[in-house]
Order: sequence, then C-alpha cells, then structure tokens
Amino acid sequence: MSKPAPTLHDKLNQLRERFIEQLPSRLAQTAELWQQSRTTSEEQSRLAPELHRFFHSLKGTGRSLGFERLALLADQAEEALTSSPTRADIDTFISQLLLQMGHEQQHLRSHHGQQQALAAVNSFELSSQVEPLRNKRQRLIYLCDDEPEQVDQLIHHLRCFGHEVVQFIDTDTFFNAVLTRRPDAVIMDVQFPQGQTAGTETLTSLNKLTGQPLPAIVLSAHSDFHSRLSAVRAGCGGYFTKPVKPLDLMLAVDELTAPAAEEPLKVLVVDDEPEAAAYHALLLKEGGMSVHQVHHPADALNAMERFSPDLVLVDVYMPVCSGEELASIIRQQPEHLGLPIIYLSSETDSQKQISAMSAGVEAFLTKPVQPEELVSAVRLRAERLRLLRSLMTRDSMTGLYNHSTTTELINKNLAQAHRDNSQHAMAMIDIDHFKQVNDTHGHLAGDQVIITLARLLKSRLRLSDIIGRYGGEEFVVLLKGINAEKAATLIDSLREDFALVDFHAGEVPFRCTFSAGISSFPAQPSTESLRLSADQALYRAKHHGRNQVVISTELTDDR
Amino acid sequence: MHILVVDDDPLAGEMTAALLESQGHNTLLASDAMEAVEQLDAHSDIKLIVSDMHMPLVSGLALLEMLREQDNHLPFILLTGDTPDTTLRQTPGLNACLRKDAELAWNLDAAVKQTLALNG
Repeated sequence: MSKPAPTLHDKLNQLRERFIEQLPSRLAQTAELWQQSRTTSEEQSRLAPELHRFFHSLKGTGRSLGFERLALLADQAEEALTSSPTRADIDTFISQLLLQMGHEQQHLRSHHGQQQALAAVNSFELSSQVEPLRNKRQRLIYLCDDEPEQVDQLIHHLRCFGHEVVQFIDTDTFFNAVLTRRPDAVIMDVQFPQGQTAGTETLTSLNKLTGQPLPAIVLSAHSDFHSRLSAVRAGCGGYFTKPVKPLDLMLAVDELTAPAAEEPLKVLVVDDEPEAAAYHALLLKEGGMSVHQVHHPADALNAMERFSPDLVLVDVYMPVCSGEELASIIRQQPEHLGLPIIYLSSETDSQKQISAMSAGVEAFLTKPVQPEELVSAVRLRAERLRLLRSLMTRDSMTGLYNHSTTTELINKNLAQAHRDNSQHAMAMIDIDHFKQVNDTHGHLAGDQVIITLARLLKSRLRLSDIIGRYGGEEFVVLLKGINAEKAATLIDSLREDFALVDFHAGEVPFRCTFSAGISSFPAQPSTESLRLSADQALYRAKHHGRNQVVISTELTDDR
Repeated sequence: MHILVVDDDPLAGEMTAALLESQGHNTLLASDAMEAVEQLDAHSDIKLIVSDMHMPLVSGLALLEMLREQDNHLPFILLTGDTPDTTLRQTPGLNACLRKDAELAWNLDAAVKQTLALNG
C-alpha cells in the first residue's frame, strides 16, 4: 500500500498544532472535573465515565498523531481510574499525571519539542510512496547518537548490506520511534545531554515498557565501568568504543539480528496404525516440528528421500517388517548412518530395550508416551543431528555450504527443475586479487574480506537461493526462478556495494572487489555444465579487467 | 460514495477523515450516534461507517448494534485506543477493529480496501 501523500502530511501537522493548542484548556477542565469527583462518592460515580473518556481519547488521538509520551501518560491515568481496587494515592497520582501532561504540552508547543516528537513520524510519512519489498534478512536498525558525524561511515556500511537505517540524535525522538515502529536492532550511545547514561537508561525503560528486550549494541566514547554496567543492565549484546571500525560493529549487528533456526525440525513417523501415527504426529507438531507419516514400512525409504527427516520415529511391532528390521535397512544406506531412530513400543522389559539399542536405535519410548517426554526426546536428538550435519556440510568460517554440499543441493534442485520446467541462474563469484590482500594485509584481513562477502550474500539473497563457498575466495550461488539477465543485475548491485566496504588491516584501510560469471539453466542442463559455463564467464570477467559481472553465452563459449 | 466517520472528538474525527480522504474516499462527519443516523438518512450513498469506540451515551458498539437491529447492514469499522482483544474483534457484524496509533493510516487503508472488496 502507498504511504500518505505530502498533503496528508500537512493536514496532519495542522491537526497536531490544533491538538497541542487546545490541550491546556482540556487539561484544566479535566483537573477541575477530577477535583469535583473527589468531593462525594455520588459525584465520583457521575463523573467517572467522562474522566475515563477524556484519558482514553487523549491516548488514542495522541498516539495516532505521534505524541507517544503524552499517550503513555494518558494510558497510566486511564489504568489508574479503572483498576480495582483503587490505588491508595490516586489523588496525587492523577494530579501529578495532569501536571506532567501540562509540561509535555509546553514542551510540544515549542517548535523544537514538536520537531523532536514528530521526527520519527515525519520520517515515515515523507519517505517514498511505495514501500520496497524487504526480504526476510533485511533489517530495520535504529542508530541513536548525538554526534551524527561520527557514525556516517557506520551507516554507509549498514546500508551496503541492504539494511534500513534510521538515525536519531536524541533519546526522546528515538523513544517515540521505537514505540511507533519497533526496529530489529538498536545501536545506542551511552552519554546524552540528559545524562551520562541516558542512552542505556532509555533502552532499559523501553525494555520494561514493552516487555520485549531490544537487541542492542552500545557505541560509546567512554569505556569506564559505570558506562559498561549501564549497558549490561540494559541488556545490550555488545559494547564498542569510539573510534570504532565500522565493519566490526556492522558484523556484530549482523550477528545480533541473525534469524534463529530457519526451519522446524523434521520428523518421519512410521507406524502401521494410522491413528497412533496421527496421535504422535500431532504431539510433535504442537512441539513446533514438521512431521510426515507413513503407515507401511516399505514407504519409509522413499519418504526419507523426499522429506529428508532429522529423525525417524518407528513403531516396533509391525507385521510386515518390524521396527528393528526397518532400523537395520535404514542403516544400510550410507547417507543415513547417523540418522537418529527412536522406537515406540509397549515393551517394558529393560533387557529387551537394551538389546534393541544395539541395533543402532537412539532411544526406546514405552507406550503410552508422555507428551513432554516424546517431544523432548525427539527434539534433543534431532537438534543434535541438525548441528552435526551443519558442521559437516557448512564451511566453518562463513557458515555457507561447503563444496560438496553445494554441489549436492544444486543437483537436487536441478532434478526438481527438470520436472517443473523452471529456470535458474548460477553465479560464480571470485574476490579480485585475493592473494595480494593476504600478502599485503595478512591472513586475518583476508579472512575478514571472505566473511564480509559471505554475510553480504546471505543478507541480500533470498532464503531459497543456495549459497556456497567453493574454495578459498570463490563462491557459488544458485538463484532460483530467475533468468541470467536478472541474476546479473542482482549480482552487479552486490558487486557495487561490496566495492564500497572499507576494510582495515591494523590502521591501514583498503577496499576489495569481486568478479562474477553467470550461467543459466536449462540452457545449461546439468550442475557440471552450469558450473563450467559460469566459470568460463568468470574467467572472461577477470580477463576484461575484473570488478565486473559477465553473462555466459553459448556461442562465445564454443570458441 | 461516502464513508461516514463517527467520533465525539472533532479533532480525532477530522484526523480519521483526513486519512480516508488521502486514500481517495469522500467522507462525512458525525459527532455522535444521533448525528450518524441523521447522516445515514440524508445520504443514500454512504457505503461504510468508521466509528470511534468510546463515545458518550451511545458507544461505537452500541451504534453498531442499533444499526443491525434496524436492518442496516453497512460495513462497520471500529477504532479504539486500546489493543483490540479477540472478543471485540469477533463482534458479529463488525468488519474490523483497529487500534488508534501511528500505524493507523496503513491499517485503516488495508481494512477499508478489504472491507469494500468483500462488500462491493
């Protein structure tokens, strides 16, 4: 949907001014009503609805117009009026709130105060008409620092990664903005004119108010104990002192906001009794897992191939093929040697249970199972396999898929693509002059370049895309459902942003570029031909001066 | 075609009307349930009602109930200063219940479009 037009912006600002101008008389009238309601219980019950309506209306309208602090005060008053039993100090409490609202009105009445309160709202109202599609990994980051010139470089780097950065120079504006639109992460200074730890105290207040801790990193000119303690109390996930290397802080923000487990655990249930299978599947689904059922042991291998479970839950007594026999069949497949298998049985003889363990079964659950026991037994073992698989299939430095896993995943996707008649593109990406980076700036700097490019690919590409590290400084990406031209445009925008990143080796800054070759499926029908074609295009990109993206063309490749 | 905005707070009503007008709709204003009924009698082209929840004498919910009893089935959107709970949201005859906050512009736009699409 489109955002409000500038004319609406002007209209809302007029309404805001009228709201602020008429507020003193409304507050005075309410204070009078309040005093009157305290005289007798009859007056109290007669005037209660009107008082409640005033505070409720003030809350809703104030909040809609962007006056979040005023709305909070009104909310407190409304809550005090409606709570039961009535708080003992309600007389002074309401009077104080009315006074605070008056002070807030005076603050808003000043041009500066209004600008402060509305800065957050205005920045949203005046931004572009069409909200761009944010992919799942792009994040909204609020940066609050009263010395904006010191954070320009940091903002530059965050935006290279595609994150949306909103900058605030005071805690009040920041406070309103968080309540208006919650960010994915916060970068906060400690010291502000309001106090030596006003920044972190604002975070603490917000955490208490919203009940949800904000992922936050402190960026401060001070590294004393008091400042650090206030950061810990605000629940901050990192502490950086100025001057900061922007890339280090950016990577920390990326780490802080990295999405948690992207996929639910997958469990295959094999039980010849459909009702029992459905019951156990339901328990596991309610535990947050993805569950597939088969009712005939012969279907288990096909289901495992298609579903790729993290664990198999097997009933022991099935007439055609017992659980034990099925477990042995599963273990015959090399790729399933490590797959956890759990038995379900009514067998209570512990000696027989121990005997079953020798067939490579992880656990033995006795029916009827306790729901909590089933869920926790399955989760523990499935998560262990998931972690182990991740260590075996991913590159340890970048977290991307390693060479063999990338190839396997692309093979699978192309097999599926042949059936679906879909179209994909492959990009081979290689960091330019990487050996020179290592020789000149050292291996630590080289590693940081690799990690940064990996993070850039992860944050800017879709979850469905396959991203692998193929060798030292070489990456391969399968971009699904896209043609070569669009893939080239996308990779080229990443190339431009990557070239803007400032790296450091000690105090020596340097920049890096990458080159890329693009090939497309089904013009290239196999993983090998796709990779070869992309590699040849990459070679031409290197040969033509590097720092560019080249699309493979069959005619040229035949030369 | 008009959208009828009902709010006892004139400034709040004007704000709601401004949001709707920026989204391409014509609006009529009423400050209470009685005025709302008068507007409904006077204008046959009202297609949607957006009403505040807390109003003196006749609340937004009471207005909705009254209209349904009178066999008026125009789509009805409620605005409240609190976070709408499930019970309120599921009120029979209510098309949407929105919270008055800084997101109101976008939420109202989506709710109006969806409501008119379902009742068009």
